[in-house]
Amino acid sequence: MNMNLRSQSKKSLTYWELVRKKFFRKPYAVIGTFIVITIIILGIFAPFFSPYSPTRTDRERQYFPPQTLHFFDQEGNFHPRPFVYGITEEMDPNTYEFSFMPDPNQKFFIHFFTKAEPWRFLGINLETRLFGVDRNKGEYIYLVGTDNLGRDIFSKLLIGTRITLLMAFLVVGTAGLIGIVVGVCSGYFAGTFDLVTQRIVEFILAFPDLPLYLALLALLPRRADAVLVFIMFAAILVLLRWAQFSREIRGMVISIRSLDYVRAAEAVGASRPRILLRHIVPNTTSHIVVWVTYQLPDVILLESFLSFLGVGVQPPMVSWGSMLNQILDFQSFNRAPWMMAPVAGIILTVLAFNAMGDGLRDAVDPYSDK
Amino acid sequence: MSTDSQQILLTARDIEVGFPIIEGFVQAVRGVSFDIIQGETLALVGESGSGKSVTARALMGMLSERAVVGKNASVEFSGQQLIGLPEERLQKMRGSAISMIFQEPMTSLNPIYTVGSQIVESILAHQKMPKKEARLKALRLLQEVQIPRPEARLDQYPHQLSGGQRQRVMIALAIANEPKLLIADEPTTALDVTIQAQILRLIKDLQFKYGMSVLLITHDLNVVRKTSEQICVMRNGEIVERGFTEDVFTNPQHPYTKHLIQSEPKGSPPPLQSEPANSLQGNKVRVVYKIRHGSFFNRKTEDLVAVNDVSIKVRQSESVGVVGESGSGKTTLGLALIRLISSQGGEIRFGDRRIDNVERKDLRDLRTSVQVVFQDPFSSLNPRMIVRQIIAEGLVVNNIGNSDADRDEMVRIALKDVQMEPDVMDRFPHEFSGGQRQRIAIARAMVMKPKFVLLDEPTSALDLSIQAQIIDLLKDLRDKHKLSYLFISHDLKVIKALCHNVLVMQHGNVVEAGPTEQVLVNPQKEYTKALVNAAFEVVSNRSQSTSLNFN
Repeated sequence: MNMNLRSQSKKSLTYWELVRKKFFRKPYAVIGTFIVITIIILGIFAPFFSPYSPTRTDRERQYFPPQTLHFFDQEGNFHPRPFVYGITEEMDPNTYEFSFMPDPNQKFFIHFFTKAEPWRFLGINLETRLFGVDRNKGEYIYLVGTDNLGRDIFSKLLIGTRITLLMAFLVVGTAGLIGIVVGVCSGYFAGTFDLVTQRIVEFILAFPDLPLYLALLALLPRRADAVLVFIMFAAILVLLRWAQFSREIRGMVISIRSLDYVRAAEAVGASRPRILLRHIVPNTTSHIVVWVTYQLPDVILLESFLSFLGVGVQPPMVSWGSMLNQILDFQSFNRAPWMMAPVAGIILTVLAFNAMGDGLRDAVDPYSDK
Repeated sequence: MSTDSQQILLTARDIEVGFPIIEGFVQAVRGVSFDIIQGETLALVGESGSGKSVTARALMGMLSERAVVGKNASVEFSGQQLIGLPEERLQKMRGSAISMIFQEPMTSLNPIYTVGSQIVESILAHQKMPKKEARLKALRLLQEVQIPRPEARLDQYPHQLSGGQRQRVMIALAIANEPKLLIADEPTTALDVTIQAQILRLIKDLQFKYGMSVLLITHDLNVVRKTSEQICVMRNGEIVERGFTEDVFTNPQHPYTKHLIQSEPKGSPPPLQSEPANSLQGNKVRVVYKIRHGSFFNRKTEDLVAVNDVSIKVRQSESVGVVGESGSGKTTLGLALIRLISSQGGEIRFGDRRIDNVERKDLRDLRTSVQVVFQDPFSSLNPRMIVRQIIAEGLVVNNIGNSDADRDEMVRIALKDVQMEPDVMDRFPHEFSGGQRQRIAIARAMVMKPKFVLLDEPTSALDLSIQAQIIDLLKDLRDKHKLSYLFISHDLKVIKALCHNVLVMQHGNVVEAGPTEQVLVNPQKEYTKALVNAAFEVVSNRSQSTSLNFN
C-alpha cells in the first residue's frame, strides 16, 4: 500500500527509542519484562528475601508441608501483622504414616528486617533478612515446606534462582559473543575463511545435543569442586550454542553487506574495520537482542533438565534443576509433593522471557506499523 | 462530473480511512467521492501516500484489520451497498463482479501452483461448470491476453514466465469471471517500458470487448492520458481536481495538478565547451560473473557476460546517459567504471591515470573525486546513523577537515547545496521522505567535492514531482561545480533532459550510442525505436499542443 504518511514528530527519536515505544504498547511483553526483572532482583538479593540460609537444616522438621500466611485467625479476628500456624505431627499407630495438621493455638507472627544467619554480598557481611519469625521462641516459617534434611525450600528456591540465572546469562553471553565475532567475520570476509568456518559450524551443528552433553559431562571429574563443575558445565553448553547463532549473524551480515549504504561507505573510501563496526554490526543488534531473550529460557530449561538428571550443577550449589533431582523417586514425591516447587519457577521464568522476546521481536522493526 | 445519459456503475461517497500508527493516527483518505461510469475508465492519480491505493481497497473491503473506515462512507455498486456487507458476500463479489490486478505480478500469483490451476480455481470459485470446461476456458483466457503458446503456459509455474507474461496471467485471472469493474493498481509500474505499453493496450482492448469499467490507480501521467476518460487527482487523501482527462491535461485548475503536469522532465543540457578534457573513460570494459551449477561431482562454471566490451567516454562537465531495460548491464557497467566491482578486461582511465589495475588500498585518493548516488534512498542511508554522521563519513575516513567543527561546516554547506536546512543534521534517515533522503544521499556525494558522479537511477524510486526537483538539483550542481555525470536510467525523458550523449544497452552490449538528440529523435536500431516509442508515443499520438510533447 502506498502508505507513507507520518505525523511530524517534534523530537528526533533514535532507533532504540522507537523500539521502546512500540514495545510498551504490548501488555504481555510489558508484563513479561516486569516478571523477568522481578526474578532477576530476587536472584541477585536472594539471601535478603529468604528467611533462612539454604544450608540450614532443621532435624525436627523434615518433609514439613508448606505453611500458609494468614491475616484472620480461626475466630475471624483480623491481625494487621501476618502469621502462620505451627504444625503438629501425628503418627497413625496402624499405618505408621505421619500426618501434619496446622495447630490453631500456635501463631507465629512475621517480623520484618529480622536478624538471622549472616550472608555475604559483594564482600560485605550482612545479617538482615526481609522477614522471619521469632526463632528464640522456637517459631519457624516454611512457606513452601522443607526437604528431606529439613532445609527451607522457599530459601533454596531463591538461591537456586541465582545459580540458574547466572548459568543462563553466562552461557548466552559467551556463546553470543563467540557467535557474533565468528558470524560477522565469516559473513564479511567470505572466501576461504568463510568456507572453513562454515564447515566447523556444520560439524558442531551435526552433533546430537543430548548424548553429547551426557558424554561430555561424564568426562568431568566426579569429585571435582562444585564451582569447577559449574564452569565446565557452562563451557560445554557454550560450545554447542554459538554455532547456530553465528550462522544467523553470518546470513544477516551477507544481506547487509550488499545494501547500498555499505556500497556508499566503500565509495567514500571507508576501511573494512570501519564498515564492519559502523555499518554492519550496529544493524545486527536488533537480531542479537531478540536471540538473547529467546536463548535465556532455552538454557534455563536445559540446565534444569541436566541438573535434574544429576549431571549438571552439583551440591553444595543449588539450582532449580538440582533441587528437582531430590525427588527423582516416587516415594519422596509422594511424601513431599511441594518439593516440585522449582517447576513453577522454571515455567514462570520461561514464559516471562518468551513474552518479553515476542514483544522485542515485534518491536525491533519499528518502521513497519504492525 | 457524471453525465446523465450514461449509466453509473459505482458510486463512492465520503470514503474515509485512517490507520493507527506508532506515533498516533494517520488519516489516509479524507472524504473521497466519485462515480465510475459503465464501460469507462476512471483514473485515480497521485503520488505515494496520497491514499489512492487505500481508496481502492476500501471499495472492495480489502483493507487491513487495523484500518478505521469513516461512518458516513458509502459505496454503491449496481445499486447495492458494499460498505458493511458481510465478508462472505464481499468474497463472492471479489473476482466475479469486481476484480483487481496489482503492481507486482510475482507476489500476487501463488508460486507453487501452475498458472492453469490458478485460473481454473478462480473460475470454479464463482461459476458452476465441469473442470474440463473450466480448463478450456482458462486456455481461451490465456489466448485472449495474448500469451504466446498458451497450451504450454497452462502447465507452467509463475516463475517460468517473464514479468510481462505474469501480468498478462493476472489480467486473465481478473477477467475470468467477466467482471463489471476492474481495479488496476499500478498495473505497469514494475514492468519495463516496452512491456508497459503492451499491457496498457491489452487492458484497453479487453475493456472494450467486455464493456468493463476500469478504475486505474497510477502515478504515471502518461498512462492516464493514454487510457482513461475521467481523472481524479488525489493528494493527502483528498481529491483536489477531477474532470475529463483531456480537459484536466490541457487546462489544469488546481495548482497541484499544474505542478504535476509540469513535473515531466523537459529541457536539454547546456552545450559543452569546444574540447573538454576526458574525465572518466572506459575502453572495452568487460565484466563477467561466474555462475556455478551442476552437481557436486560435475560442477560446471558458466560465464555470464554482464558487460561485453563496452567503451564509454565521459568528458569534463559532460553528462552521459546509459539507457536500457532491467538486466541490460547498465548498473554493472557504472559500478565497474568507478571500481566498486572489479572488471575482467579492458581499460579504465580517470583523467590520465589508469585505475582498473590498482589495488583497493591505493584507490583512496580516487574515492574523493569519484562519487556515486544510488537508486533507492531507503537502503542507501544507514538507519542507525544521523544525517551528520552519514554525510561526514567520507570526510572522516579521508582525514578531510581539521576538526569536527570544520567538518560540520562542510556538511552544512553540502546540505545547503542540496537545499536542505542545516538543522536536519541530528535527525535519523527514517524521519525523511524519499525525496529528502535522496537529497541527503546527494549531499553525501557532494561533500567530497567530486569531479565525477555516477548516478544510478537516482530518480526512479521517487514520485514524479520529486523526480523533477531532484533532476533540477542535479542540473544546478553540475553547472555550479563543473561535474561530470554518468547517468544510468531506464527513463528516456530524464536522459533527454539531462544528458549530452547517450548509450543504449541491451544484454550487456551497446546497441546504439551518440548525441542524445540524434539517438532519441532518429533512432537507427529496432530496439532503440521500441524504447523511444514506449516512452514518447503515448503523448505524441494524442494532442500536439502540450508541454509534454516530445517534438
